[in-house]
Amino acid sequence: METAELKSQLKKQIVEFLNLTTIKPEDIKDDEPLFGEGLGLDSIDSIELIVLLGREYGIDIKDPKEGRKVLVDINTMVDYIEKNRTK
Amino acid sequence: MRIFVTGIGIISALGNNAQQNRSSLSSGKSGISSLEMLSSRYASIMPFGEVKISTDDLIKKMDARESGVTRTDLLALHAFNEAVNNSRLTPAQLSDPNTALIGASTVGGMCLTDELFLDSTSREVGSPYLSSYDCASPVMYLQKRFSIGGVINSINTACSSSANAIMYGARLIKQGKAKRAIVGGTDSLAKFTINGFNSLLILSDAPCQPFDEARRGLNLGEGAAFLVLEAEEDVKDKNCYAELTGYSNTNDAFHPSSLSDNGDGPFLSMQGALRTAGLETSQIDFINAHGTGTENNDLVESRAMINLFTTPPPFVSTKAYTGHTLGAAGAIEAVFSIFSLVNDEIYPAVNFEHAIADTGLVPAKKFEKKRISHVMSNSFGFGGNCTSLILSKV
Amino acid sequence: MFYIYKTSCISPQSSYGSPALSELVASAGNKLMAQEPVYSGIPPGILRRMGKAVRIGIGAALPLIADKQETQGIIIGTANGGMEDCIKFLNQIIEYDEGKLTPTNFVQSTPNAIAGQLGLMQSNKGYNITHSNRGLSFENALMDVDMLLAENKNAKYLVGAVDEISAYNFRIEWLGGWYKSEDSSNLNLFENESDGSIAGEGAAMFLAGNEKQGSICRLTDIHFFQTDSAGVVKEALTKFLAKHLPSGKSPDLFMSGENGDRRMQKYYEACTGSLAANTPVLSFKQMCGEYPTASSFGAWAACEILRTQEIPMHMLRTSSSTSNTPISSIFIYNTYKGNQHSFMLLEK
Repeated sequence: METAELKSQLKKQIVEFLNLTTIKPEDIKDDEPLFGEGLGLDSIDSIELIVLLGREYGIDIKDPKEGRKVLVDINTMVDYIEKNRTK
Repeated sequence: MRIFVTGIGIISALGNNAQQNRSSLSSGKSGISSLEMLSSRYASIMPFGEVKISTDDLIKKMDARESGVTRTDLLALHAFNEAVNNSRLTPAQLSDPNTALIGASTVGGMCLTDELFLDSTSREVGSPYLSSYDCASPVMYLQKRFSIGGVINSINTACSSSANAIMYGARLIKQGKAKRAIVGGTDSLAKFTINGFNSLLILSDAPCQPFDEARRGLNLGEGAAFLVLEAEEDVKDKNCYAELTGYSNTNDAFHPSSLSDNGDGPFLSMQGALRTAGLETSQIDFINAHGTGTENNDLVESRAMINLFTTPPPFVSTKAYTGHTLGAAGAIEAVFSIFSLVNDEIYPAVNFEHAIADTGLVPAKKFEKKRISHVMSNSFGFGGNCTSLILSKV
Repeated sequence: MFYIYKTSCISPQSSYGSPALSELVASAGNKLMAQEPVYSGIPPGILRRMGKAVRIGIGAALPLIADKQETQGIIIGTANGGMEDCIKFLNQIIEYDEGKLTPTNFVQSTPNAIAGQLGLMQSNKGYNITHSNRGLSFENALMDVDMLLAENKNAKYLVGAVDEISAYNFRIEWLGGWYKSEDSSNLNLFENESDGSIAGEGAAMFLAGNEKQGSICRLTDIHFFQTDSAGVVKEALTKFLAKHLPSGKSPDLFMSGENGDRRMQKYYEACTGSLAANTPVLSFKQMCGEYPTASSFGAWAACEILRTQEIPMHMLRTSSSTSNTPISSIFIYNTYKGNQHSFMLLEK
């Protein structure tokens, strides 16, 4: 899958998974921070996103600290998915 | 009006009665072990504070053959029987309109996670447990079995539930809505809660280490405890274990499942309990901390203790002994606080090695005999629900 | 005894905002589902996580706390809280065989999520509690407020109750025989004499305090108990009324929690038999359906009648005229499943 395609797929998955009813997938910028200022996600969302990576891409993140490095923005997530996906 | 504790009953991973529980605490022997009574994927991966009696044996032991009885009900019945016998309450007193029963449970009959799934989705004929799933079930069961005549209630404020049950019972007596209140909580281990806490990544795969820098999360436990509360004028020649002098319920108003950095809720509940009791911080001899062993709770609770006490008195989290018994924890730890008052002793932290760098607080490290006049017991839960109790020597 | 200043309710009827109760909204599939408003007062970031029970609970409370109304605590009664989330989480456990599960359903399923979230949104660090005693959850919440107001004379509290219909608890209650097995409608709930009622849901919230000024009415007393015996209910009622009304006098209206389940009828008849024969009888479960905290809808409707002095025609169960005399007292009796019973007396 092309990176661009993966990015838009991931955005859709995030919106759906976190029930971000007021946000359109295409409105999420690739370098917009997921937590804090940007999308305003919180610690529970970070766990939800780790589960998403597991279910959709077969990626098992055990250490929450590693999670923090991956879950910065769409770019970092996609980069990690491309390197580590098992499905 | 003064409120006294005239009966206690407890069952936990430390033992099936008050005497066994105290003996384990005194010898610093934790009840955390591997799971034997419940099948779960995590049975061999994580340790738990399990009561080592099977559900069938509990049924036989107490002749509890009513239809739809669950393990949560049975643990409640076990502790209830001990507390009521201990306080020498008669069947007539139990059915009296002035006897209240205030319980607490977070899991109720959902300990039968698979049964609930089948009943709620696919079964054509219901199981015997249809009316046993909700968290009121244990209280409803006890009410029916003993025809308890007064105010009946179940409180659910997550992990502070039974501390609030104790507080509610005391207030009922003070306001003349009951003469005595049997108060406590019960929870049994369940796939529902195991997976719930695991999904939040706050279960430890090793025995939990409350207040330790290296803590990795909590261990779940199960158990039940009940206390009989009575007004001073009704106590007469009864043995009084302790006086319930302080209580306070506050909210941290920060996040659905974690505490604020400074621990406003915990600070205010501890402060409020001191105020109800009319005590100064310096008069608290021992704190039974909430101390779940999670990164968030222990750091925040430590900060709140420092903010309030400056130099906190000796404290311990007995969750390293019993696991986190959720809705039962407040009542179980109130009973442990009473052990300290009655026997003038404090129990050592187990699994503790290094203080949290940020606070430097070190819990009580060894069993010690010393005069104990006032013990504070903390219980904090999801939803920001914080409750502190103070029990005092009679 | 305490006063009620404001009320708010999300229910299957047009009860939210400016209530319009004269037309009875019909049920579908033996269920009366809540009419949910647009929740403009709940930040989207929070709303997206909420299940229905939390949503309607918070939504109903918002108008009472909107103008920075200070309350000293939040007291909620709910038998089940977010049941839908609870079973969604259960489904995850089964579907993923206890694998990696998402925590939101778990966090939202705890019954205290409603009071906790209200505390959070209101930055209210005061008393916060959730009473979950099945059919007497709301009643315990009221008793708690009554005690709180005796302890703190100048305080105000937010008190209310919530329960939701989920596909799952509907099924469990249906298997238990508590909903009608035949297709029924709330429009003629009291006409088929069969077992079971129809399912309902809703959230009703009240602002309570000690000061008479600015109040809609007062809750003069609340009493609740457990029994299977209609005789015990009758005896308790006689005692309750004797305590509050001059001998031989009945309340202006009797609001009955009857729900179309013929097995419950004996309890309601025990009450009508103890009141003066010309006491008008009103019912409310055709409006809200049956659920563990339905009595909170009854209390809300009673407040509305006392406030507006108008009785929706579909509520009247007796032909006795309500004449033109002002309505100043309403007595509510409710039973949940015939073993939990409550009395409430509301007075102008």
